[in-house]
Amino acid sequence: MLKPLSSDRWNYVTAAHLLNRAGFGGSPAEIQKLADLGLDQAVGHLLDYEKITDQTPNPDWAKPNPEEVAKYREAIRNGTPEQKQQAKREEQQLAQRRMLELRGWWLQRMAHGPRPFQEKMVLFWHGHFATSVEKVKNPYFMWRQNELFRRQATGNWQQLLLEVGQDPAMLLWLDQAQSKKDHPNENYAREVMELFALGEGHYTEHDISEAARALTGWSLEPQAQKYIYRSFIHDFRDKTIFGQTGNFTGEDFIAMIVAQPQSARFITAKIWNYFAGQVPSEALNDDLAAVLRANGNNFKPMLRALFRSEQFYAPDIIRNQVKSPVQWLVSSVRILESELPPPVVSWGILKQLGQDLFAPPNVKGWDGGVTWITTNTLLTRYNDAQALVDGQLPPLTAGDFAGKGGNKGNKAMQAMQRVRMGGVNVEKILTPAQRADKATIVAALEHRLFQTTLNTDQEQTLREFLDSKTKMSDADIRTTIRLMMSTPAYQVT
Amino acid sequence: MNNQITLQTRREFLRRTVLGSSLAWTVPAFLSNTFSALQAEAADSAIQTPTGKDATILVVLQMAGGNDGINTVVPYANDFYHKARPHIGLKAAEILKLNDAVGLHGSMKGFKSLYDAGQLSVIQGVGYPNPNRSHFRSTEIWQTASDSDRIEKNGWIGRYFDNACPGADPAAGVVIGSQLPQAFFATKPKGIVFNNPQNYRFIANGTATEESYKKLNELEMSSPQPDDNSGGSIGMLPAGMPMTGGRAMDFISRTALDAQHSSDEVRAIATKVQNQAEYPGSTLGSSLKLVAKLIGGGLPTRIYYVSQGGYDTHTNQLQSQQRLLGDLADSVKSFTDDLKAQGNMGRVLVMTFSEFGRRVSENANGGTDHGAAAPMFIIGNKVKAGLLGQYPSLAPTDLYQGDVKYNVDFRSVYAGVLENWLKTKSTPILGKTFTPLPVV
Repeated sequence: MLKPLSSDRWNYVTAAHLLNRAGFGGSPAEIQKLADLGLDQAVGHLLDYEKITDQTPNPDWAKPNPEEVAKYREAIRNGTPEQKQQAKREEQQLAQRRMLELRGWWLQRMAHGPRPFQEKMVLFWHGHFATSVEKVKNPYFMWRQNELFRRQATGNWQQLLLEVGQDPAMLLWLDQAQSKKDHPNENYAREVMELFALGEGHYTEHDISEAARALTGWSLEPQAQKYIYRSFIHDFRDKTIFGQTGNFTGEDFIAMIVAQPQSARFITAKIWNYFAGQVPSEALNDDLAAVLRANGNNFKPMLRALFRSEQFYAPDIIRNQVKSPVQWLVSSVRILESELPPPVVSWGILKQLGQDLFAPPNVKGWDGGVTWITTNTLLTRYNDAQALVDGQLPPLTAGDFAGKGGNKGNKAMQAMQRVRMGGVNVEKILTPAQRADKATIVAALEHRLFQTTLNTDQEQTLREFLDSKTKMSDADIRTTIRLMMSTPAYQVT
Repeated sequence: MNNQITLQTRREFLRRTVLGSSLAWTVPAFLSNTFSALQAEAADSAIQTPTGKDATILVVLQMAGGNDGINTVVPYANDFYHKARPHIGLKAAEILKLNDAVGLHGSMKGFKSLYDAGQLSVIQGVGYPNPNRSHFRSTEIWQTASDSDRIEKNGWIGRYFDNACPGADPAAGVVIGSQLPQAFFATKPKGIVFNNPQNYRFIANGTATEESYKKLNELEMSSPQPDDNSGGSIGMLPAGMPMTGGRAMDFISRTALDAQHSSDEVRAIATKVQNQAEYPGSTLGSSLKLVAKLIGGGLPTRIYYVSQGGYDTHTNQLQSQQRLLGDLADSVKSFTDDLKAQGNMGRVLVMTFSEFGRRVSENANGGTDHGAAAPMFIIGNKVKAGLLGQYPSLAPTDLYQGDVKYNVDFRSVYAGVLENWLKTKSTPILGKTFTPLPVV
């Protein structure tokens, strides 16, 4: 049973846990504010984000642009070889600029937008329906899918699956747009069951080929840049899916998936894992799935129950999740009350750390958990911490930016050379009283960075480091912060 | 040299007194060959202590995405082939013939020259029973060497380290990339991961900072200290699932120790050793270029792991496979040239794999969908050169759900590599006995 956390366990530490997991962390003042609200109100403050207006403007190119598409297609179809080449190059460069802008736009929403929980859900859905621009190649489609995840962030499961299946980026990503009745492409039919909604072992190979026939006709209108149903490529014959036979459409197939009890279990297990950092027990998974189904497959009530539950605040859950690279970056700037690095730098950092937004490694998304941590990514986190704290460029090379082809990497590096970033403003994060001596400095920073203490040896090491610095200047404090971020403890939340 | 001795002593101290012997494997063992050799003498003879100078080395090369084996080792004389692939079938004139029946894809000139020199073995029709067509599941099967109906968490390379190299240096396994492949998951995980040696270090703004970093990362374990079987290792987990046996921080702490101790050596080698061949500028080319340096510099590594992606050719396969296979053959050829110049070619074996081949029939988009059996390549001085195994029949009546049937289990290939190249018993590593395919 999902039992609510008793009110006497609601405090600064549990409030910090909620803000870290349901959002991207925050300053001690923000945590205290949540703690003062009490559990239910604190959860409501994050989850009922519809009450908070979000006026973030969209990128100005984030709309269909049939003229631009037509012009490009014309050049490719009828241009001279040079014109074709030129058109392709320009298209690529434009796409790259827009993707960079899009990445920066989203990170900014996570770090400083008014609805952190909504963005945390968008990040979940992006990792779940993992779609990569490397194949889709179209920034407008990637933005549109991101907006779909935002619109349906805590919406209805069936509606979400339907909209994702008809989403232009997904239609391209899993080849559904190219699936015709004569040669149905099985890619989407397979992945929607294996990775999105049921899991391996809950369907047969036969279900896949039959479902692929049901999905034929779901297509893309390239000029208008939107979903279109083309009846002439739909297979109207009977199909047998999950043992039922009928003249099923793609919509029928999605409804049949959601009708499987396994579907609610599958998605709630994944959501629990995302927020709690562990695989739920069978019993807990049953409870979460039951709440989802009892509420018409709407996510919001299940999420509210999750964040209010005693299980979510269990000792083996708190501070036992490896920060994803996005969590590491975004929560760092929130904790340090600083600004995100410019998009080109943030992009480089996230690529190095293994979480290139809009370019997950494959349709399974990022493995996450301890797989974020390798000898290489750990050292990189430690070095990038210095960049964030001091406002210097991180040690990136062109290779860190290299995509599949061309000199992308060098261009991005050149762009980086022009970048200036701000570092941590020490006055903002330490009061004069806290700054009075090394012990209070270490204690205040621990409170801010970990909401707990390091071990005594580590505290001693940090005090000795400050001892070696007679002035304890801003630069010395920043190095101390960087050292604290260069610990295993800082990598978990 | 004095420095090294001090380091060794400090680590030995940590290993014996602070962590306790049960945690010895978490502490990077000794980078010095001499010390490793001494240790090996005292140890069980089944235990392999890499010396970095003379031990055999395996390079595993993953072709991710499911390479179309049929257009890689092409049955150009087979009518069924041309019937099934009217648009993407390769003509006799386009390929590099190996005999009257099959030839290599035309872009693989590098492989053809290795073949002619007796350094390439082509194992035909490799797969496993009840093939799975999911990228993830089939990759998992190849990485764990499990039966297709059994979920196994640890990888075959990880189990090799568990069985044959306890107490070895973490650099016994090196992955060029950013993620640890599941093949490395182990009860006692080993293996370092990096892609850029120059940034593979803690960059400090002064000695005090550097010293503090080292101390802060020496021993940060959540209490109580886990014992040997308490899990907390990456190997206990399904991919992507956080650990349940131990705290996440314990895993990170071990990784921090490995990082600290391996970074200096890797960087020194990468700076010091010069490549003696030109490589393609591709990711695979750069990865192999780095591996050649590390081998030349004597890193005590038994298994290197590199990968090349992009083989999921559902659409317009001709163009992309041309580029990928060309890159593969050129990169591997450069690598072998480099190793020859170093005098290390005799110590190194390269083995390629892909999670599956593709359907015999082409699809409507000029591509192929997920299939089953496919060839593997083994490269080295001592390989059993030529074509091994049988080319699977393409006759429609011989296919299973549109796929060719395997006739060599990939685990027999692993067994051959383990027994004949890495000189270790394969049964404990593969979980059951497979007849080793005599690949060397």
